[in-house]
Parts: sequence; structure tokens; C-alpha cells
Amino acid sequence: MSDKNTPFFVGYLAVPGGLRRFLMVASVLVIAIFAVSGALIGSTQDAPPASGFRFDYGRQTVTGVIELTPYPLLRVTEGNDLIKPGKTLMLTSAGKSGVDMRAMGLDGKLATVSGVILQRGTIDMMQLRGGGRGLKAAEGIAPVMETEQLGRWKVAGEICDGKCLNGAMRPGRGLAHKACANLCLLGDIPPVFVSTQPIDGSDFMVITGPDGTRLPTMSYDYVGQFITLEGDLERRGDILVLRMDDTTLELTDQ
Amino acid sequence: MSVKYIPVQWNRNKWLYDAVMLAGVIVFLWLFLFISPELLSHEFPLNPQIHNARAFGACAFVMLTVILCIGPLARIDRRFLPLLYNRRHFGVMTLFVAITHASYIMNWYFAFSSSDRYEALLFANTSYGQLAGFPFEFFGIFSLLCLAILATTSHDFWMKFLTPPVWKHIHSLIYFAYVSVVAHVTLGVLQDQQNHTFTVIFTGGALAVAGLHAYAAIYERRHGDRLGVDVDGWIDVCSVAEMRDGFAKIKILANGERVAVFRQAGTLSAISNACAHQNGPLGEGRVLDCLVTCPWHGFQYDVTNGRSPAPFTEMVPTYNIRLSGAVVQVHRDANPPGTFVEPVKIEAAA
Ligand code: HEM
Ligand code: FES
Repeated sequence: MSDKNTPFFVGYLAVPGGLRRFLMVASVLVIAIFAVSGALIGSTQDAPPASGFRFDYGRQTVTGVIELTPYPLLRVTEGNDLIKPGKTLMLTSAGKSGVDMRAMGLDGKLATVSGVILQRGTIDMMQLRGGGRGLKAAEGIAPVMETEQLGRWKVAGEICDGKCLNGAMRPGRGLAHKACANLCLLGDIPPVFVSTQPIDGSDFMVITGPDGTRLPTMSYDYVGQFITLEGDLERRGDILVLRMDDTTLELTDQ
Repeated sequence: MSVKYIPVQWNRNKWLYDAVMLAGVIVFLWLFLFISPELLSHEFPLNPQIHNARAFGACAFVMLTVILCIGPLARIDRRFLPLLYNRRHFGVMTLFVAITHASYIMNWYFAFSSSDRYEALLFANTSYGQLAGFPFEFFGIFSLLCLAILATTSHDFWMKFLTPPVWKHIHSLIYFAYVSVVAHVTLGVLQDQQNHTFTVIFTGGALAVAGLHAYAAIYERRHGDRLGVDVDGWIDVCSVAEMRDGFAKIKILANGERVAVFRQAGTLSAISNACAHQNGPLGEGRVLDCLVTCPWHGFQYDVTNGRSPAPFTEMVPTYNIRLSGAVVQVHRDANPPGTFVEPVKIEAAA
């Protein structure tokens, strides 16, 4: 209890002279603690990966063949300056919802899509405009698109939702973001596997359940975490699709 | 000591106190929100919502840490007592900063889906069975609830209504809230970070809180304050020679209660150490003319009967006291609050 001569403080009276200096120093210290920790924590946030909502490209309209993997992809046949034929786009609606319902009857058919691009490195996605202006059936016969089987692979990395990974949210991956990513996946946004090593030239791939079913519910427990799993890989245009064997999914220490 | 309740009783010291704390919070947020993005100069900046959420979350953590360090500091050195004085206001401020953090998260991470965001908070991640990937938001919700309970019951009205012991128990929720925040951050953002500055500050803060509490407990044990030997209900406090006029010795009884034994003008008196206002440590107050003033908020009590001077009506229990040779002894059973006990005269020889 320090020494018995410590000046006695009573809240509603003036601070005794001997305590005043001490309290001044203590106050400055408290403010300094706040200042230093605010500046340090604030200025040492990790840089999010290069990615972004590319509103700056403006609205894009292209035509192609819809493929349900079961997550809808567009295999572009008639492109524009930015999006060339041969490209494969993942599709999403605004917010945390995918385009499953809108694409349902169009599997294997020709369609015209319109929206803005999200991009991260070599991976990109289109966020469609609302209603029929965003996705509508197109006239003409859909050409048969090739799917190249690449066999069974074992991959290591992380399951993300394709939209945030592409820059809808930054950083948009990792454990702090897990609940948010799950909410996107529950809303039918295409899931993406981010691989630690490039596979056939690509370090991300659309991931589906076994035999092209939807992502099994057990995999939601592993979103945002470092895992290994095996699956059958195929190439659709410039995109890889991995059909996971959910019995092989394992959590790994990084 | 008020005869009626006033929402908040202000005085110069409270203004100063709040100004210092508010200045700390503003400096923290200003540096984090407005200066640090320039220092970071990320090519693709964090979303402002995430940056804001982190600023307010980290700020609430630092605020809680500071609050919890003040208690043990004041036990170790009473010059820190004035910092304890208005901690309640700081606690309420912390709640608002924490709510701002949670709102940014709710309106960003849990928004934009077809689900209700509050329901989504509970069902989006249900990995309750695993440590990595555990829905750490759960711990955030728990701390936020604790802070809300503490802030809403912080006023003296609740203390009177709930009685100080119940109120004090409720307020130990602050420790659960803190532990919960530690779990929230440890299972959340610490797992993701590449840069470990926050980890170091965070761990340092948590260790400071734990370390200071442990040190204060050891310090108190070493400085008197320990449990006495009970013979027929009489407990040794100390020898008369150790007592200084105008001051008290504090003794812990077997039931955990503390007695404050005062020496003043050649006599000894004993009352409960717990102030009727907010359980402030009366034994650390000073006696003048039979009246002890509580160091926390200045309530006063007559040490011979535990009563506040008129017109106030607060009362604390008294204890019977006697001298066994040169040893001061108190009886373990408290008298009802306000009971007069004849002060024991110290003989000149003692
Ligand atoms: C409903 C209540 C809460 C929810 C849903 C919540 C959610 C979150 C989330 C999702 C993050 C990760 C943010 C990111 O880095 O992307 C986070 C970080 C954090 N939260 Fe909370 N939280 C809540 C309450 C609290 C409370 C009450 C406190 C402290 C008093 C707190 C302190 C923190 C801290 C210190 C961080 C780390 C900030 C940083 O990255 O610098 N949270 N919270
Ligand atoms: S606790 Fe407030 S005056 Fe004693």
C-alpha cells in the first residue's frame, strides 16, 4: 500500500498536490499506450492479395454455353475485347447468392450474360445484372464443348467461396472469414479450391462434390483451413474443375 | 452519498478522468483509421468495413486491458486509486466501442445474404467440435453480452437494488468477458495473420492483466491481510505497536469477509472493510474525528457504529474488538450494520 504518507484522494474534492504530478504522468502514459498500440496494430495489417471488383472494366456482355457442374459456368463462344472465346466464367448474382435458380433450365444451352467482373490474378468471375438482363437464353444451336479429363489428383490448399476470393471482400479468405465464406457457399456461390502449388498451370479450381454433386455439407467444417484431398480433375476451357472424393479430405498442419 | 438518485453525478475529477480516457480512445481510432492506411499503402486496400471492424475490435480489447490493469495496480500502490474512481464510465465507453466493432462485422460479413444476419451469425459456421475453425464469433457475442449487462447495471440504483454483494458478483463477469475476448481473438484473427505485431501486443496485454492480478494477490498476502487464527471466535489482527493513528489494518476472515480495524485518538474500532456504496476498501481510507472516508467515492462512516453521518443513511456492519495483551483481536461474527461498539482504549504502555 505504498507508504502511509501517500496523499489521500477523495473523488469529489480537489486532487491533493502530491498526487497531481503522479496522475498527470499516469494520464499521459494511458494515452501513450492507446496511441502506440493503435498506430502499431493499424499499420501492420497484412496486405490482401491482389484482387478486386473490376467495376472499372464497365459492364460486359458475352454469349456462351451454360454448364452446370453443378455450379453454373459460362463457356464463352462469342466474346468481346476483354473476354475472349474459349474463356470460362464462374457466375454469381449480387450479394451472397449464386445463379443456380436462374441457370437451372439452361444446362448445355446457349445464353447471353451481362454484368461486372471480379478478378484476382488469373481467376475471374462475373456478377450478373438482376433478372433477364443478366442472364437470358440466346438464339442458335449450342456447340458441343470439350471437357478434358486429367485423372485423379491429390491437392493441398484451402476451400474458399469464389466470390470473396475474387475480391468481393478483402482479404476474403482465411479463418477469420470462415463464417462469411460459409454463408456465401450456402447461398450457392461457386466454391473454389486454392491450391498451394499450381496444378496443370492453375492454382485455383472450381470444387464440387463427388461425381459433380454439390459440395458435401461435411466440407463446410473445413472452409478456410489448410487441407488435403483427392479428386478427379477435368479442364473446361481455361478453368479446372475438381470433383472431390470427400472420404479423402484431411486437415493438415500448415 | 446521495439522498436521491441523479443519473450521473459529475464533478471536476470525473470530467478529467473521462477526458483522459476518451482522448486515449480517439487517438487510437484516429491513428488506426486515418493514418495507418497511408502507412500501409496496400495496392488493394482492405475493405473499409473490415479495417473499421478491426480498429474498433482492437480498441475495445486495449480498453478492457487497461480497465483490468487498474484494479491490481491500485492494490499494489494506492496512488493509482484515483484511476479506479471512475472506471464505470470507461466500462460503458468500452461497450459502445465493442458494439461498433460487432456492427461492422454484422453489416459486412453477415449481410448481403437472403438469411437474417443475426440467424446467419449462429448457423453460418457450426464447427463447434473443432478448435481450428471454431466459430470464434461465439466468444465475441458472449463478451458483448457481459459488457452490456455490466453497463446497464453500472448505476448506483442497481447497486442499491441488487445489494452490493450481488452487484459485485455480477461485476466479476468482467473477467469472463475478458477471457472470452482472449478466446475470440486467439481462435480468430491470430490464426490468420502473417505479421505478428498484433499477436505480440495482444499477448502482452493479456499477460499484463494476468500477471498484475497474480502479483497483487501475492503482495496482499505478504502485507498483513492474511487469515487469522480463530480461538473461540476471536482472531488476531496484529500487535498494537504496528498500528498507526488514523489508519487501519485489514484482516480476511474465514468466510472471506474483510474487517478493517482502525486506530484513532488512542482507541480501536472495527467495521466491515466493504463500503456500502460499491464495496470500496474502507480500510484504505483515512479516519478523522471518528469518520472514515472511503477512498473510492468518498462515502463516510463513523468507525464506532458503521453509520454515515446524517442526513445520509448508509450503514456497514461493525465487529467486536478486544486487546489480548498487546495483540489486537476481532470477533469473527459481524454485528448488524449500524451497531455501536464501545471503542477499546489502548493503555499508554501498549
Ligand atoms: C457479436 C459480437 C462479435 C462478433 C460477431 C465479432 C466478430 C469478429 C470477427 C468476424 C472478427 C475478425 C475480423 C477480421 O479480421 O476479419 C473479429 C475480430 C476481433 N474482435 Fe470481435 N466480434 C464480436 C465482439 C467482440 C468484442 C465484444 C470484442 C472486445 C471487447 C471483440 C474484439 C475483437 C478483436 C480485438 C478482434 C481482432 C481485431 C483485429 O483484427 O485487429 N469482438 N471479431
Ligand atoms: S465504494 Fe464508492 S464510496 Fe465507497
